[in-house]
Formats: sequence, C-alpha cells, structure tokens
Amino acid sequence: MRRMKAMKDRFGLSWRRELAAGILAHLDRIDVVEVIADDFFAAPRRERRALRTLAVQVPVVFHGVTLGLASSVAVETKRLEETARLCEEVQPDYWSEHLAFVRGGGIEIGHLAAPPRTAATLEGTAANLAKAKAVVGAAPLVENVATLIEPPGSECDEASWIAAVARASDCKLLLDLHNLHANALNFNYSPLEFLAQLPIERVAAIHLAGGKWIGPHGAQRLLDDHLHDVPDPVYELLAEVGARASQPLTVILERDGAYPSIECLLDQLDRARRALAEGRRRQAGRAREVAA
Amino acid sequence: MSAPDFEAFLAKIYLDEHARAKFLADPRGEALKAGLTASEAEALEKIDRLGLELIAQSLERKRRRSGKYPRNY
Repeated sequence: MRRMKAMKDRFGLSWRRELAAGILAHLDRIDVVEVIADDFFAAPRRERRALRTLAVQVPVVFHGVTLGLASSVAVETKRLEETARLCEEVQPDYWSEHLAFVRGGGIEIGHLAAPPRTAATLEGTAANLAKAKAVVGAAPLVENVATLIEPPGSECDEASWIAAVARASDCKLLLDLHNLHANALNFNYSPLEFLAQLPIERVAAIHLAGGKWIGPHGAQRLLDDHLHDVPDPVYELLAEVGARASQPLTVILERDGAYPSIECLLDQLDRARRALAEGRRRQAGRAREVAA
Repeated sequence: MSAPDFEAFLAKIYLDEHARAKFLADPRGEALKAGLTASEAEALEKIDRLGLELIAQSLERKRRRSGKYPRNY
C-alpha cells in the first residue's frame, strides 16, 4: 500500500474494460481509478502488468467483492493472501470491501448480502477485519451495502451496526450514497438521520451510482444496479457529507453496464465535484457563524 | 445451532426456489427442521416476504444473464 495521504478531495471512475479507452483519454479530468481487485487474482501476467502500468499513470484504489467480511464465518486466508499479493504488486492508495456476506453453508450467493445485524456478526466482522489487516498489511475501508430485504434476525438498525463495526475494528468507511439512498427509501428511514449516526470522521471514500425501481406496483423497491445515472438525491447527500466531514474524500462513480458516453460520466463527476464543494462551503459558512 | 448456520439458511432460501417455497409455507417448521434455534425460527417467521421475493428474483435474473452466479459490486 502506498499509504499516500490524500490531501484534497479526489474524483474518479470505476475501471471497466468498456470504459478503459475513455478513462485513459481523459486523465486530466479523473483523479483516481477504482479497480475490482478480484478480477485480477487469476489474471494472466500481461493483464497484471497492464494494471501496474495504469497505476503509474493515475492513482489506483482497489475494491473487493468476494471476501464476505461481514459474517460470523471466518474469512478465507487464501482470498486475503491474493489481495495482499496484488496490493504488494500494484501499491494502491487503499483497498476496500463490503460489509456483506457472500456465501453460507457452502453456497455462493453471488451477491453482496446484508448480514443479520447481530452481536454474533459484529464479533465475526471485527475478527475478519483484524485478520484482513494482518494478512494484507492494511485494513480495508468498509462499505455499507444496498439490500432489497430487511436482514432477518437483525437486532439493531444499519447505522448503529456500521458505527459499532467501525468502533470495534478501527476501520475507515467507504460510504455508498446510492446504497444509503436506496435502503432509506426501501425501509422508510431518513438518510440524514443515518448520516448523523455514522462516525462521519471515519468516512474516507464515497461511492455514487444509480438504480431502478422493481417489484409489484404499490410495493416497489429501489434496486442498486449501477446501470443508471446518479439521481439528484444522491448528489444532495454528497453535499450533506461535505457539510459534515472536514477530511479529504475520494469520490468514485460506479457504472457496471448500459454504458453512456464517457462525456456523460465525466459530467456526472463534475456534478459530484460541485455538490461536494457546495457542502464544504456550507460547512465553512457555519464555522464562520460560530466564530462570529 | 449457530450464527453460521443461520447465514447458511439465508443463503439457501435466497437461492433455492424449492427450499424457499417450503420455507414460505411453514417458516417456523422449516427453520426448526434445519436445526435453528427457537429464537432464530421466530426471527424467520417475521421475515420481510416482499424483500425475500425481490432478492430471489434479482439473483435469478443475474444468474440467467451471466449463466452462473454473478457478483454485484
């Protein structure tokens, strides 16, 4: 890990093959690129060399999707060692994973499932994060996940559970604002109250994405599918974060398909820049009022 | 039983249509039959049924699209 401390807000895109040419042609407007680490665990040598070359051109951060850290089941050492090897080779600025479970009883869910929010999963998650830090050499940023189902057996709300994980593991947070937006709509809570409950000083990175409504008429839920543009309320939440957090943030726009033009994605990044800057201005204004 | 068994039970009803149908017909009975505790069975009796159907449909759509169990990010 480079352990490079970002001194200012940074804005970037998720690295996808379909976006590669557009990203490389616009590095003047992209501060950072987020790469799915798992895609490179078994990649041929030439692809890993290409990834190292990319990391020379632009700061790279890694994002994991298959560790299943939010579980009462111990994370597999082999998967962590693969992450460690890749981090050693590419030296990303940081790596991140989801607060999700992805397998159970030998079944691969193929999805980032929200864990039951219980003392047992809290304890298991903290143990997994400690192991991840020991094997990889740095703790991951941990990300809140979107869920279509209220996790069965949960004993507390999502914000309390995430705050408890952050406290128990001393990890920083990757706050996915579309996941927050979707869960808040689907389960009828205030995203602003969620933000108020989070240890906002631990947020180091932000994800932005879009989704679509699914389900029967009158009982629809918002699916975080990464196939649509970032909706307005997510930019408003980004401004809110900017108004509450004083540390530099790395903001990544995720897109996994139905790709629009690179200009369209860059426009969304520019809008994210404006939203965060607006939030920062609000925070500075409040500070001036207090000082006066 | 244990928290890992509870997670395994969830994985099964999210993915396995037959297991899900049996579970929805008798949540408590199926949970106890799987060896879960009475409190776990009680939690599953109160399961968010709409959410269960939607997550199952979403996973099925992804599987059909990719031909395997895909990831989401």
